[in-house]
Amino acid sequence: MTGAAGRQPAPRIAEPAELAAIAARLRRRVVELVAPTGQGYVQQGLGAADLFAVLYFSELRLDPADPDWPERDRFLLSTAHNTAIFYATLAERGLVDATAVSDYCRDGSPFEVNASERVGTVIEATCGSLGQGLSVGIGMALSARRRGYATRVYVVLGDGELQEGQVWEAALLAGSLGLDNLCLLIDDNRMQVEGHVDTVVKLEPIDRKWASFGWAEQVVDGHDISALQAALGRARQARGQPSCLVVRTLPGKGVPSLEGVLAHNLKLPPDVAAMALASLAETKS
Amino acid sequence: MTSTAADDLTVQDFNQRGAAAAPVRKFYGETLLELARADSRIVCLTADLTLPTETDLFRDALPQRFLQVGIAEANMIGIAGGMARSGDIPFVHSFCVFATRRCYDQIAMQVAYPNANVKIVGVIPGLTTLLGVSHQAIDDIALMRALPNMTIIEPSDPGQVPGAVRAAAAHPGPVYLRLKRADGTEHFGQPEHDVMPLGRVRMLREPGEGLLLACGMMVEVAREAAELLAQDGIAVGVFDVPTLKPLDPGIVALARGARAVVTAENHSIIGGLGSAVAELLMEAGVRTGFARIGVRDVFAEGGTTPYLFARYGLTAEAIAAAYRTAREQRSG
Repeated sequence: MTGAAGRQPAPRIAEPAELAAIAARLRRRVVELVAPTGQGYVQQGLGAADLFAVLYFSELRLDPADPDWPERDRFLLSTAHNTAIFYATLAERGLVDATAVSDYCRDGSPFEVNASERVGTVIEATCGSLGQGLSVGIGMALSARRRGYATRVYVVLGDGELQEGQVWEAALLAGSLGLDNLCLLIDDNRMQVEGHVDTVVKLEPIDRKWASFGWAEQVVDGHDISALQAALGRARQARGQPSCLVVRTLPGKGVPSLEGVLAHNLKLPPDVAAMALASLAETKS
Repeated sequence: MTSTAADDLTVQDFNQRGAAAAPVRKFYGETLLELARADSRIVCLTADLTLPTETDLFRDALPQRFLQVGIAEANMIGIAGGMARSGDIPFVHSFCVFATRRCYDQIAMQVAYPNANVKIVGVIPGLTTLLGVSHQAIDDIALMRALPNMTIIEPSDPGQVPGAVRAAAAHPGPVYLRLKRADGTEHFGQPEHDVMPLGRVRMLREPGEGLLLACGMMVEVAREAAELLAQDGIAVGVFDVPTLKPLDPGIVALARGARAVVTAENHSIIGGLGSAVAELLMEAGVRTGFARIGVRDVFAEGGTTPYLFARYGLTAEAIAAAYRTAREQRSG
């Protein structure tokens, strides 16, 4: 279904190899953004790069020429601190000015560590106080449904964020309402501030928890681009149920010496940054 | 076993009895529906408190724009934030205490910070419930005042409610509307405006040597206090302050030269009307006797409203006594 004006979103990319090349560029950009100040989230950004590439270049119906298009798909990053990858992606997609993003985390820049609406409409809500994004997404999905828009709403939550009670209020209601234009993506990297999630509060089985709340759940390899595309495609076909994708991601993905290192706030001194960029340069792009 | 009339009663009978005891007019619910019929952007959310918030009228007339979220106020506020960002004007409803304190961070981030067009509507202000401390909102004005972008309205009688609701709807941004459900015991004041002007006090009694400033249920109590003082030959003006934020800067001119100013609110003395007026007058350099009537930094308890108001000093006698003391204060 298209809007009253028959308006179509900007073209999207279906070819997995092309998306993989974009993800590789995004990973390098994550390192470049975090290295100068040491602020930002490297491990999470590298881990989520494939997911962001697939979402913004293959899945979301957007128009970089008109970010306020009312019938656009909505994207909410509830873990709003994971901005190195988020801003890198928005810049690559042409939704924000790439030069301005280079001021990431510098005083006065709207590109703060925690994404805020100072950036503009592309930050659909200011999250970061964890547990809030899914509720906002429900509101957007309900508004779109009432207006008869084809809009879909995508919300990324961290797995550690599932420890927030509000998430489960939202889970219960979306399941009860059968909100099938809502798609939750759980960035399942097993990492929170104090280490592995299981050493803090156990979360498994994540998929069965969501299924029991009435969601159409899938578990997907967050680094298999074709699998991500297929899972999102199935989610789009779901009727009468919201969708939940448990996306298994590896912190530090793409830099062998960083892969699997559970460091919530990793710093990147110049030598580490250079090593990381060298590793990523070897990735085919 | 013999049957009695009581054996034939169903739950519905008790519900209907409750409805029969309810106020004859739903001033809030009727006005919200009137506004919503004229503006398709208005949506109504409730958290398992449809009848107490008079939103049954909206639910029955406009079900497509009504959302029952269940007992989940934090989720309700987040949803409202998402709807507002999509162009809707959500009115969210609960008891005052749950509509504010229970979901404060959600209001801060999803309503106040983005200046979202969400109207937070609470009933049961202050010490007006048997349910006790869990249900008594004695800090809701303080909490909402501390949030940038927030407007706070507390109408003082049923006659002011429709204008307050229209003002909330017309204001492009977050509003906290603090309401007492009409139960037929209230003074019914005729509104001077169809749409309540925001940020303006309302004069109920001409200024004399001093000033009583009150909001909500304490407005009528302040009028009684002024009568008590008049019996002693002390003439004071009485003003209703229905907008707690932004506060009417005209209060400065009213207070300048006043022998004393006393505020009265069905709320803690910390952070509400009294604090707001004190801040305004001090920063304007107004030297006057001053006192606050309200809940004096204590938690209360369940009880009838007359009992609680007497026990916690929300009375005409307390206001008059506070005024007499304040007028003897000397600055310096």
